[in-house]
Amino acid sequence: MDFDNSKPIYLQIVDFFYENILVKQWKEGARIPSVREVAMMVEVNPNTAIRAFNHLQDLEVIYNKRGIGYFVAEDGYAKVLDIKRKEFIEQNLPDVFKKMGLLGIGLEELKNAYNQHKNEKK
Amino acid sequence: MKQDFNLQRVIHFIRRDVTLLKGTWTTGFLVVIVALFLFSMLNMVWDKELASEEFLGIFGLCYIPLGLAFTFSVFREFGHSNTDQLYLALPVSIPERLVSKWFSTTVLYTIAFSLVAIVVGVFAVTVGIILFGVDFSFSAIFSEKYWTIVGTYFIIQPIFMVGAITFSKNKIGKTILSIGILFLGFFLFNLVLFVLFNQGLGVFSNDGLGSVAFDRASSDFSLIGRWFYGILFGPLLLVVAYFKMVEKEV
Amino acid sequence: MLQVKNLDFNYPNRGFVLRSVDLELKPGNIYGLFGKNGEGKSTLIKIMAGLLFPKSGICNLNHTQTKKRSPKTLQEIFLVPENFELPALPISTFEKINSSFYPNFSNEQFYGLLEEFQLHPSNKISTLSFGQKKKVLIAFGIATNTKILLMDEPTNGLDIPSKSQFRKVMASAVDKGQCIVVSTHQVRDLHSLINHVIILDNSKVIFDHPLEIISKNLWFGRATQDMGEVIYSEGPFGGRSILTRKNLDETEVDLELLFNGVLQETQNINQAIKK
Repeated sequence: MDFDNSKPIYLQIVDFFYENILVKQWKEGARIPSVREVAMMVEVNPNTAIRAFNHLQDLEVIYNKRGIGYFVAEDGYAKVLDIKRKEFIEQNLPDVFKKMGLLGIGLEELKNAYNQHKNEKK
Repeated sequence: MKQDFNLQRVIHFIRRDVTLLKGTWTTGFLVVIVALFLFSMLNMVWDKELASEEFLGIFGLCYIPLGLAFTFSVFREFGHSNTDQLYLALPVSIPERLVSKWFSTTVLYTIAFSLVAIVVGVFAVTVGIILFGVDFSFSAIFSEKYWTIVGTYFIIQPIFMVGAITFSKNKIGKTILSIGILFLGFFLFNLVLFVLFNQGLGVFSNDGLGSVAFDRASSDFSLIGRWFYGILFGPLLLVVAYFKMVEKEV
Repeated sequence: MLQVKNLDFNYPNRGFVLRSVDLELKPGNIYGLFGKNGEGKSTLIKIMAGLLFPKSGICNLNHTQTKKRSPKTLQEIFLVPENFELPALPISTFEKINSSFYPNFSNEQFYGLLEEFQLHPSNKISTLSFGQKKKVLIAFGIATNTKILLMDEPTNGLDIPSKSQFRKVMASAVDKGQCIVVSTHQVRDLHSLINHVIILDNSKVIFDHPLEIISKNLWFGRATQDMGEVIYSEGPFGGRSILTRKNLDETEVDLELLFNGVLQETQNINQAIKK
């Protein structure tokens, strides 16, 4: 049975930030859109957007310069990378392992598939 | 309470009405201009002059009905179910609303109409001089008769204002009907009083004395009546209009 | 800010439309007022705007009854009714004759919003569709910057792109000091905008909670059997359900599911939130 963990919107906004930072669309130290702009972009209540900003601020991915706006932290990229890696290892991988066990896919098979995928990309 | 009457808002509100009803009012005035002009011309063809008395007769015939029509038009928004919510939600107090509606349909209207009438009158006389060689006799428009007409309008206008506020459909017809019923009521009331008080005089047996008594009674009444209608009745109806508006729910 | 206390209302010779309604609306929120058709949403909104008078109880804006319709109160309330007609004037003239009554009206904001809605100030209102007229009024209402903005079924008559425009505009418009009430029976149109849910049913307020509290206490989604206590479930096997959240991850509040759930399991859901 598939879980429908439809994430809270504020976390989806957080993911949207992560992605922009990871693809370097938003560089470290650069200014990011305001709460209002983000709220408008994703058509949500500004309070929801504020929650996403606060969440990211708590994780020190972004910081607030009073009266100027929000900026990506100097080590923002590294932080996001760290968070996303952890998320992958702690949340996505267990699911993959569970399925591998269920379907009897060994580590060797996985390795082959991984290499094949890598070659195809090249 | 000080917040509830602001002259600035009254002016804004009058300006709002004028803008909203510009089309209606322009049409009304155009019709009247044509009517005034044609009547004046016909009159001059007849007796080669335009006496101010005659002109004022035509003036009264146009001025009062058009004014009453305007009175109904300024309450159109108030009475219509598609516009009344937005209208009542506007931050304007009831006294401000009434004052601005009253002012624009009486004072402002009278000034505008008089100006229009003078211009049309002078123009008609000028044309008359050229076409039929009439005598120039257009001077005394602000005669006693003019003020009587204006006074009459100012007295009956509040009745129609109340009618415009009270009724939501067939406003004009219902108002006139109500006035008819009221008038009949007054008439019966007066008649009963008259018969009661004058029984001793034998009004209905002796024709001669009866007619004298009737004359006296009516002239007495008309004096009191004038005061009653002029000073009390109009403002009283404005008070009625005030409460009608306060109580209006949509 | 806007306080409704023990309010009853009925139309002449008819049963109660609203019965002992208590509400306290605060600035900085967008309230979603939900209910089936004919459950008194419009009536409540009209009472808030001072257009209808409560039969008993009170409705106050900053301690002044709205039914008094004092200009000071009305300057702080703007209503976008469900049905309305605007005068046959150019949009800019409409703005000029009405904006002067609102002390905090922002011209810049109004014309900015018109642009957002792809309307031109010189457009004659009489040539616009109903949806476009609604946009004019919504833009005007936002630009008045009143403390209370009441909208009765604002998305009725808007097409799908316009609904998105509407959400954008609303998202940008909310100010910390403003309180917005949006009534609708189309729960989906507004789901990401509101942050407080009020549900009317059988002429009563049966639900009144901030979204934050709801998502703290309830879990929404397709549940497995071992997940916990199911309060409400839709459809048979594997349907969308509402659970008490306990240790489950936070989920987005599914407003439609919540609405249906509250109508069916009013008590249980309210209890789960109060725990």
